[in-house]
Amino acid sequence: MARPAVILVGADKGGVGKTTVSRTLLDYFASRKITTRAFDTECPKGTLKRFHPGITDVVDVTSVSDQMKIFDTVETSGAQVTLIDIRAGLMTPTLEALRNIGFIDMTKRGDLAFAVFHILGPSIASLDEIAETSKFLLDARYFLVKNFINNTTFFDWDEGTYHSYFNKIPHAVEVVVPKLSEMACEKVEISAVPFATFISDKTASGQPAGYSFVLRGYVRHWLNGVFADYDRVRLTDVLESPDSAKSPRSNAKVAELSPQRASS
Amino acid sequence: MTASAIDRCEVPAGPSPEPGRSVPAPLYVVCSPNRQVGKTMLARLLVEHYMADARPVAAFDLSDEAPGLADFLTRHVTIPSIQDTRGQVRFFDGLIETANIPKIIDLSHREFANFFTIVDKIGLFEEAQRRAIEPLILFLIDPSPVAAKAYGLLRRRFAGVSLLPVRNLTVAKGLPYCASFPHASRLVVSLEIAMLGPAARTLVEREKFSFLNLAKQASPYSDMSARTRAELDAWFRRARFQFRELELSLIREQILTALQSDLCA
Repeated sequence: MARPAVILVGADKGGVGKTTVSRTLLDYFASRKITTRAFDTECPKGTLKRFHPGITDVVDVTSVSDQMKIFDTVETSGAQVTLIDIRAGLMTPTLEALRNIGFIDMTKRGDLAFAVFHILGPSIASLDEIAETSKFLLDARYFLVKNFINNTTFFDWDEGTYHSYFNKIPHAVEVVVPKLSEMACEKVEISAVPFATFISDKTASGQPAGYSFVLRGYVRHWLNGVFADYDRVRLTDVLESPDSAKSPRSNAKVAELSPQRASS
Repeated sequence: MTASAIDRCEVPAGPSPEPGRSVPAPLYVVCSPNRQVGKTMLARLLVEHYMADARPVAAFDLSDEAPGLADFLTRHVTIPSIQDTRGQVRFFDGLIETANIPKIIDLSHREFANFFTIVDKIGLFEEAQRRAIEPLILFLIDPSPVAAKAYGLLRRRFAGVSLLPVRNLTVAKGLPYCASFPHASRLVVSLEIAMLGPAARTLVEREKFSFLNLAKQASPYSDMSARTRAELDAWFRRARFQFRELELSLIREQILTALQSDLCA
């Protein structure tokens, strides 16, 4: 039985692709017909809102009134998923606040589903953040995201060291966002539309956009890869009953967008 | 031949299709994972086939060895680059922008893997078909295991696209299609490049050689022996006959598809 879910997307350092991952998540849930609302904590201007203005509000997650706006309405908003794109450096404080208001306890009871997408940076300090964050997430889905979209090399990471951190959190799941051509990245940024809208060659108002077919093809191929990884980690199980909240890493069947579907 | 990047892939404007009629314009990809199997020769023959009827055609030289298509048909061939995203955007976007002009790509063996990887990633052939452009992969067969493996890969990866084995008798005489190179197209046509005698072959391989100029008896062909001229005429006519069969087969398929959709409507 479906229950509302809250997904935090955060990192303790800027520039690791947090908002990009948030955007892919919004497109993923839309493609699976899962209603979603989003909160952009890059107050006051917002970054996520530029791409998904219809479903995104810009908030100050440190203010009590905005916390009420987000968390008091999780069950009543009508959206199955509440996605919060947490400003760099605010993930741990936000998790502390959620603990203090009893939100973490609610998720323990199974009233809500809770998941965190922790976007990892290439430095070894990023691994230290895992230990800090995981303290709050014993009953939540915890996704560690390696974002290669900008051709980041995680060369600082010694395999052994990486696995030693990973193994301390048995319920953490790795997700990989592959690299996307820089030109395609830039074009989507300039277009200021969701990835799926860019792929279907539409502007924000639904008019034909005339984007490059090649770049749309690369974005479609890339997004299919991201969606395949979300399918692999059974992301939609977040919405299911508490028994499936801690499913181990498993290989789900890949669902791939065909060019026909992506263009519709 | 040095490949000089050209800013725009120029596709000549052609007449718009008649209202209610859209015969798909072919997009020929002449290819092989091996060199010296006759790719450029086949591409040349195709280009000159259209030129002989004064029909517009766009040709692209993706070979990186001299002499390439552009060395024989300098004024009619574009040399694109697909090494970076910018070049790919210029080239592939241009390929599908104009639907009513036949296009011919002479694909180097070195670009074989890269080209088809990009085409697969961006869904070029599916998009081309949606825009009434019919992709036709003309694969020059040869006895090597590399060729058989590559053919199998193309057949699996591009199952909805016509994959036609072409036998160049100079390279693959006696090589049967069926086991390693099964015909993978609804188009009923068999393509073969006949052998040429030594004198004719030497002439054809000279840069700037043109069958059209030969037919016009223009210089430097005016002194050619009658025997060699007759051989080249027959050779070119034989190739053209096969290309016409291919075009007619495309039209036939289009008519059958239209009839079937009318019956189902």
